Amino acid sequence: MVNTKFYTIIYVVLFVSATIQVLVEFAGLEYWTAFGLIMVLSAAKAILVAAYFQHLRWEPRSVTYLIGIGLAAALALTFAASYSIL
Amino acid sequence: MTDESPNDDRTESRDESDVRSDATDRRPDGGTAVESDGGTDVHSDGGTAVGTELTVPARKADYEDDSDHDFPGMGTIRRWFVTTNHKDVGILYIVTSLFFLVLGGVLAWLLRIQLWAPRTPTTTVLEPLAYNQAVSAHGLIMVFWFLSPFAFGFANYIVPLQIGAKDLAFPRLNALSYWLYLFSGILFGVSFFQGGTFAGGWTMYAPLNVPTFTPDVGASTAVLALTLFVASVTVSSVNFLTSMHKMRAEGLTLRRLPLFTWSILLTVWMMLFAFAALLAALIILSSDRLLGTTYFTLESPAGSMLWAHLFWFFGHPEVYIVFFPALGVMAEVFQTFTGRRIVGRKWFIAAMVLVALQSFVVWMHHMFLTTINLQIKTLFMITTIGISLPFDLMVFALIYTMLKGKIQFKTPFLFVFGALLLFIIGGITGVFLGAIVLDYEFRGTYWVVAHFHYVMVGGVTALVGGLYYWFPKITGRMYDEFLGKLHFAIYFVGFNLLYFPLFVAWETPRRVFDYAPALIPWHQLATIGAFVLGLSFTIMFYNLAKSAFSGEPVGDNPWEFATTAEWAVPSPPPLENFPGLPTYRDGSLAFRSERRAIEGGTATDGGSSEVRSDGGEQTDCLRDSSEVRSDGGVTASATATPTDHDHDDHHASHASIWPFVVGVGTFLLFVGLSGMQDAAFPEGMMGSVYVSLTVLGSVVTLGSLVAMALEPFTGPELVDGETWPFGDLEYGKVGMWIFLASDVVLFGGFIGAYVFTRVAFGWTAWEPIPSNPIPGLMNTYLLLTSSFTVVLALVAAEKKNKWGLVASLTTTFVLGVGFLVNKGIEWDHLFHEGLWLSSNIRASTFFLTTGLHAAHVIVGLIVTLYLIARAMRGAYLEDNSSVEYFGLYWHFVDIVWLFLFPLFYIL
Repeated sequence: MVNTKFYTIIYVVLFVSATIQVLVEFAGLEYWTAFGLIMVLSAAKAILVAAYFQHLRWEPRSVTYLIGIGLAAALALTFAASYSIL
Repeated sequence: MTDESPNDDRTESRDESDVRSDATDRRPDGGTAVESDGGTDVHSDGGTAVGTELTVPARKADYEDDSDHDFPGMGTIRRWFVTTNHKDVGILYIVTSLFFLVLGGVLAWLLRIQLWAPRTPTTTVLEPLAYNQAVSAHGLIMVFWFLSPFAFGFANYIVPLQIGAKDLAFPRLNALSYWLYLFSGILFGVSFFQGGTFAGGWTMYAPLNVPTFTPDVGASTAVLALTLFVASVTVSSVNFLTSMHKMRAEGLTLRRLPLFTWSILLTVWMMLFAFAALLAALIILSSDRLLGTTYFTLESPAGSMLWAHLFWFFGHPEVYIVFFPALGVMAEVFQTFTGRRIVGRKWFIAAMVLVALQSFVVWMHHMFLTTINLQIKTLFMITTIGISLPFDLMVFALIYTMLKGKIQFKTPFLFVFGALLLFIIGGITGVFLGAIVLDYEFRGTYWVVAHFHYVMVGGVTALVGGLYYWFPKITGRMYDEFLGKLHFAIYFVGFNLLYFPLFVAWETPRRVFDYAPALIPWHQLATIGAFVLGLSFTIMFYNLAKSAFSGEPVGDNPWEFATTAEWAVPSPPPLENFPGLPTYRDGSLAFRSERRAIEGGTATDGGSSEVRSDGGEQTDCLRDSSEVRSDGGVTASATATPTDHDHDDHHASHASIWPFVVGVGTFLLFVGLSGMQDAAFPEGMMGSVYVSLTVLGSVVTLGSLVAMALEPFTGPELVDGETWPFGDLEYGKVGMWIFLASDVVLFGGFIGAYVFTRVAFGWTAWEPIPSNPIPGLMNTYLLLTSSFTVVLALVAAEKKNKWGLVASLTTTFVLGVGFLVNKGIEWDHLFHEGLWLSSNIRASTFFLTTGLHAAHVIVGLIVTLYLIARAMRGAYLEDNSSVEYFGLYWHFVDIVWLFLFPLFYIL
């Protein structure tokens, strides 16, 4: 297990990036640019939480794939369904 | 391995085995050649016991006495309420599902009576709305409460035996799955008496599924019943996947897994993801019906399309979910009764894997007549035609196995062979529907009805074959072969008499009791067929009921060429299944002494006694004389051996009443909730009843869950075996991750529904509901911090710092409560602005999606409270796995918020 200090650094990074995410919204960027940035920041935070707080980094890779499959199914449904009515 | 004569060895496990002819002779009477040494008369059933009727009951009693003193016997009522044993649960599933078969069948008879002649609304047998209810209930009951549970009765009973496990990984959750299933079925029954059950068809298409069009309370109850059923399926999926991946005997790699177990493995994977999507759909629908959200209403920008996407994303994998177990039964029975290993075994498996994957990318072929665009229709036509190819391979593999083998026309084979023929017809007629242009003509006609009955009831045919096949294993007695064959003959005639005319009369509109008079003869034939098919089951019920008590006793293996592991143990198998630790280390099934297995991790042959072999499977029982516990005949010698109890420190538990009580609690809760509409209970007496039931149900459910958590219960121990792909992770962690994967799909369904609705609405025209993102940002901070404190709790637990653990958990709790309070203030603010769940689709998606997340937070906080209470008494310092698993859940809830926040507050 990694020590408390390491987890604290992760936590600070998460905290700061949540703040940045809202600042992006107020920065007055073009909608889809801001959209992309904000989603990337969300994904980055999610990966940090999963990799370190849920310590997926140190688990068998199969657990990551398992969650990845669930995510792929959800995204397939979302994108294919949305595309079907465009 | 593929070009042998019919009697050659079949299973891969036998490739390397040295066949000792003196010990492995197959007896024509289906019995077992016994070879024993060391003075232990080890195995005295089968060949030696046929006709003597002395062994089975005595042996079981002795065994139970040996293993669990508190566990009531099979003959007591109490046993069936407390049992957590996989075989008992399997029997409960089979019996209950057959009850629902009868119920669904009687409804089908009512439909066929109505269809004897075309009717006008004034000349009906059933009133028009009653007919709609009967159609819908028949479909729902047969698909959900009969078909899958029937298959999972076998899965429960057989899979642990085939993988060499003593039970499933979480025995109490297995019992819980059953009780949730039973009570969901009873709940569905209740719906008939609340003004009428759901009448909008089994596909529950929107907007017919909202109270505007189906206003009865019973319709809500039916939706809730299905929701409860899905909860049962989810629990069951997590349990089976953990067990099948983590508990396989040493040497039993996935490549060597028997085909029935393979089919169940793939079925459960499909269930895990598909049913999570259905759960999303059903929770949203329940919310529309009970709370008044507007996802599926007429006003919603694409409500009916949203339902169709969510439902069929589940619904098409569901087709394979109900059919795969039948396929597994077909493969097993074909092998046993042709005496031939299936041709192209690994290709057969590869084809099943391919279908399981493809099943998730064909769902829009159910939507060819909706407004989806032509590009995506074409794409889904291609994937649909594509999915028929692996099935062609499987069908040819089965046919070729027959050609190369030597067929024994016993009842199980007849049913399974019949199923193959029916499936071929059902499959080919389905290809028509997969073609867009033909679907324009066929959609909504009896062509569809005939097609899916050939497929689904074709699957039932195979499962009935499975019932006859495993009946001797489950009861220890043989059914009557003549009555079995008679059942098949009448069943098969009745089946085709019922369903084939529907192809001819395909122009009949579906779900409607009026049709062109020219089609009358065909419908009358079908109605006659319905009674022939239905009544044929009375022969089966009579045969099996009588044989269960007075049939001829059978040995381990009544079938000459059966080779899977369930046939290597007594019929019925003892409580803990095996006389030792099963292993396939040497290429064939053997049993290791558990004591040595624990000590050394590997078995050696020293001191082992060659015990028995049977029915084509060479079974080496490598064990010392102390380990012969599987049958009563050896109890004396076993107890005489002083080393017997070295291992028996681990006493697996088999009884818990709490799963049953949880079932009762959820039942009461859901009956209570059914009375709700527009987030309020009705006035008056009935309203009070519903409120009371809701409160009572909540208390019972929560209380029994806590009681279950506190109850000392020893599950199956972690043994050295095949664990791919999860390595040395504990059962609990694997189970938690598998559950979270399904929760990803649940939230994915909610977020997908939001994205889809917003796309239909016009993405950028959609304003977020909260005008100010700062409260949301505060909540992000709170949740991130609470995630951090959970990490600190685990660190404290690892350092065995009790108060550090309690402090971190308490901080987590406070932060979680802070999150909810902050959200409450925000919602209250929005309510005062005049926004409500039903105000518009933007408000509906906002409140429901963040509400589902809040519900996850509340569940997490209840668990936190439980953990704090236990931690104060010094728990989790030795074994902190509970804190860790809770952390996995809590971080997941955090991650979900990381996406909900931008989607609902910023963008």
